[in-house]
Amino acid sequence: MIRAGRRFLSSLPALFGVLVFTFLLMRVLPGDPAVFFASGPNAGKEEIEVIRKQMGLNKPVPEQLMLYLYDVGSGNLGRSMMTGQLVTKDLRERLPASLELTLTALLIALLSAVPLGVLAALRPGSIIDHGVRFFCALGVCVPTFVSGLLLIYVFYYLLGLAPDPTGRVDIFASLPPRQTGFLLIDFLLAGDFDGWWAAFRQLILPALSMALFVVAPLARITRASMLVSLGSDFVRTAHSLGLPWWQVVVTYALRNAILPVITIAGIVFSTMLGANVLVEKVFSWPGVASYALDALLSSDYAPVQGFVLLMATVFVIVNLLVDILYGVADPRVTIG
Amino acid sequence: MSVTGSRRLLMVVASIAFSLAAGSVQAQTRAETLRYVTGASVNTLDPNIPGSTREAFAVSLSTYDRLVSFGRKQLNGKWVFDLGKITGELAESYDVSPDGLKMTFRLRKDAKFQDGTPVTAEDVKWSLDRVVTAPVLGKAQLLTGSMTSADQFKVIDPLTIEVTLPKPDKLALPNLATVYPIIINSKVAKAHATADDPWALAWLKENTAGSGAYRIETFKPGEQVIMARNTAWNRGTADKSAFFKRVIVQSVPEPATRANLVERGDADLVIDLQASDVQSLEAKGKLKVTSTPQYNAVTFVSMNNQIPPFDNANVRRAVAFALPYEDMFKAALFGRGSPLFGATWADGKPSSGAYPIPQPVKLDLEKAREYLKAAGMPDGFSTTFSFNVGQASTAEPMAALVKESLAKIGIKVDIQKLPDAQMSTQINEKKLPFFTEGIVAWLPSTDYFYRNFYTGNQRWNYSSINNPELVEIAQKARFEPDAAKYEEDGIKLNAIHFSEIPQIPLWQPSQDAVMASSVEGYTYQFHRQVDYRDLNRK
Repeated sequence: MIRAGRRFLSSLPALFGVLVFTFLLMRVLPGDPAVFFASGPNAGKEEIEVIRKQMGLNKPVPEQLMLYLYDVGSGNLGRSMMTGQLVTKDLRERLPASLELTLTALLIALLSAVPLGVLAALRPGSIIDHGVRFFCALGVCVPTFVSGLLLIYVFYYLLGLAPDPTGRVDIFASLPPRQTGFLLIDFLLAGDFDGWWAAFRQLILPALSMALFVVAPLARITRASMLVSLGSDFVRTAHSLGLPWWQVVVTYALRNAILPVITIAGIVFSTMLGANVLVEKVFSWPGVASYALDALLSSDYAPVQGFVLLMATVFVIVNLLVDILYGVADPRVTIG
Repeated sequence: MSVTGSRRLLMVVASIAFSLAAGSVQAQTRAETLRYVTGASVNTLDPNIPGSTREAFAVSLSTYDRLVSFGRKQLNGKWVFDLGKITGELAESYDVSPDGLKMTFRLRKDAKFQDGTPVTAEDVKWSLDRVVTAPVLGKAQLLTGSMTSADQFKVIDPLTIEVTLPKPDKLALPNLATVYPIIINSKVAKAHATADDPWALAWLKENTAGSGAYRIETFKPGEQVIMARNTAWNRGTADKSAFFKRVIVQSVPEPATRANLVERGDADLVIDLQASDVQSLEAKGKLKVTSTPQYNAVTFVSMNNQIPPFDNANVRRAVAFALPYEDMFKAALFGRGSPLFGATWADGKPSSGAYPIPQPVKLDLEKAREYLKAAGMPDGFSTTFSFNVGQASTAEPMAALVKESLAKIGIKVDIQKLPDAQMSTQINEKKLPFFTEGIVAWLPSTDYFYRNFYTGNQRWNYSSINNPELVEIAQKARFEPDAAKYEEDGIKLNAIHFSEIPQIPLWQPSQDAVMASSVEGYTYQFHRQVDYRDLNRK
């Protein structure tokens, strides 16, 4: 635990660096947000000045940076021109949506990738192995928005099985009182099982299209590290002692093979959270990634900076979690 | 069969009947709900806030009333707004004095704000003062109607307000029907004003205090707005409240998804589909597609008249005769719009004083080469052609065709696709030599277009043209009371436009409203959004 705390503290300078770097980068990029947002049919120089003042862009950059750092220090990430809301409020509302989607996708991916990887490793070179490889290649080849649109076309448009792909819950349904922001949990807490089912149905297609894309790296890593682990001495010993095969495979081989899978899963998770703009766009998912992209296109500084800071923080936390999970999977790590 | 068995059967039947009844109740509320999906989003409830989106304008039209509003007329069988017919909204009636310097509005006696308090002349004055005084978008708009100061608005009695003008201005009255001069409940707004923010800008951004047809139920910026009908509202065309009990405005960024939603009947109305989707939905014939040419908008190919080589009129003429208009029109819009090329002007004179009118230009490479030779550049030159990412679906195919065709007369074009904010910045700084853009005027009149889009060193003068004669005629025409003389001025302006060719008008794209076959009453409005109050379901 102390080690985890120390790791966290040592990542603070990196977070600070990210903060300053994004701030400067946004201002170096061509594109003046004031001009963009002053685009009413009669907006002239005066309107542009008003917006510039409103965004604090009339001050010199070093002063802007100091003000921004002060604001961040006091928990204020600024205001988005695009939504007109405080960035912290926007992110707080949108992060659970992204997290819920990404976690579900990761869960689906792990639940399918690990068994697939293990199966492939048990019979390397067999038809199963080739089948898994083919499936993985397919998943990686098809970009997420293509698989997303395809899933919508089949399950919503043709078959009518899925609900309309517009966000987290049916627009006519009422939302549960907000407790965690995760709809699946909030509906359960409110005891509304119909609502839970509706939210689950909305979630499943985007989660699937995200999962398809990340099954490949997870399955490949599982397969590779299972192969090493299955060929090692302790597995041969276990076999020779006459232990049941599943115990050999799951308890001894898989447990030792899981470390690289956890590492990759951590990286995959952080990437998915920030980089799945396309899935969020296709399914109108009110997540952070599509929010950041819109902000970037319109040079809306505060949301982009807030988003990068958030992602950096999530990355740090995920790395921390991965570290802790290492300890669970392999007790030697904490000692070493 | 035992008694319990039949009782169980009865229970099953009863529960089925019950669930069917529940289903029909739900279906009924669905019929009374309008679900409108859009690629854009609503970001403020007050249209005056700098940065407001067009979707925000549409919402404010339903949540607030203005003093007056535009009527509607049929144009080629489609309903469009009518600038010539201004009817009262909160005003029961209005007078314009014979000298055109005074407008008097008498308010409806039965008009109430959504909190139940009556609408008074004091509220109107406060609201109009706010538009011309506070740092808001409406300030620049009302300026075009000679309304610049709070002194111009005078309360005569609790139900009468008078607006005085420094000189007679045709656009003063229409300006009060635009999006910005909303009438706000001043008592409520003042209660939320602060010393830093005397006009309650911050509060009104996220709350409404109006008398409009709908009240806000949920407002999630960037996601959705749900509005419920205000049953007390009776300012509609037929003097009754709006038809739909609920209106849902939902952001769905992916155009293909919007097309699926409306085709499956889950959404009722969408106006921003891709042209290809509109065409296939129209061909299937299940839905109603209303295509109205946006007759107050124009898409251009613009050239910066101050940067060489486009400072040479012969170069601009060469480009004008080297564009493959027909192909561009088909590739970019699938022919959905009204073309502004390929006209023949008798004696080479403009056919009318209206703006915009079809230009006598067509693809003629021989002529283009001659003009290029006359400009002293027979071998052509290199330049860039820019468009913004937001318009990529129409501008990208167009740019490819421009490049291909100009290459034939020796002009080498590099295509530049710019993020929206970057494009507007470069336009504002007058750095782009050659690009495509669109303009729109809420109050389309010839002088308005020429004054705003062809005058001065400002952003909307895309071509950066600086022609004193054009400026003089346009300024004079603004206050020209005589219609025949105005038409003459218009013809003069159009003639200068064609001889100088500062930029090349291409077309007026259609507004394609795709709706469920049960939705009726759709009207093309000056703000190019849907006015939800117009709609009903048969």
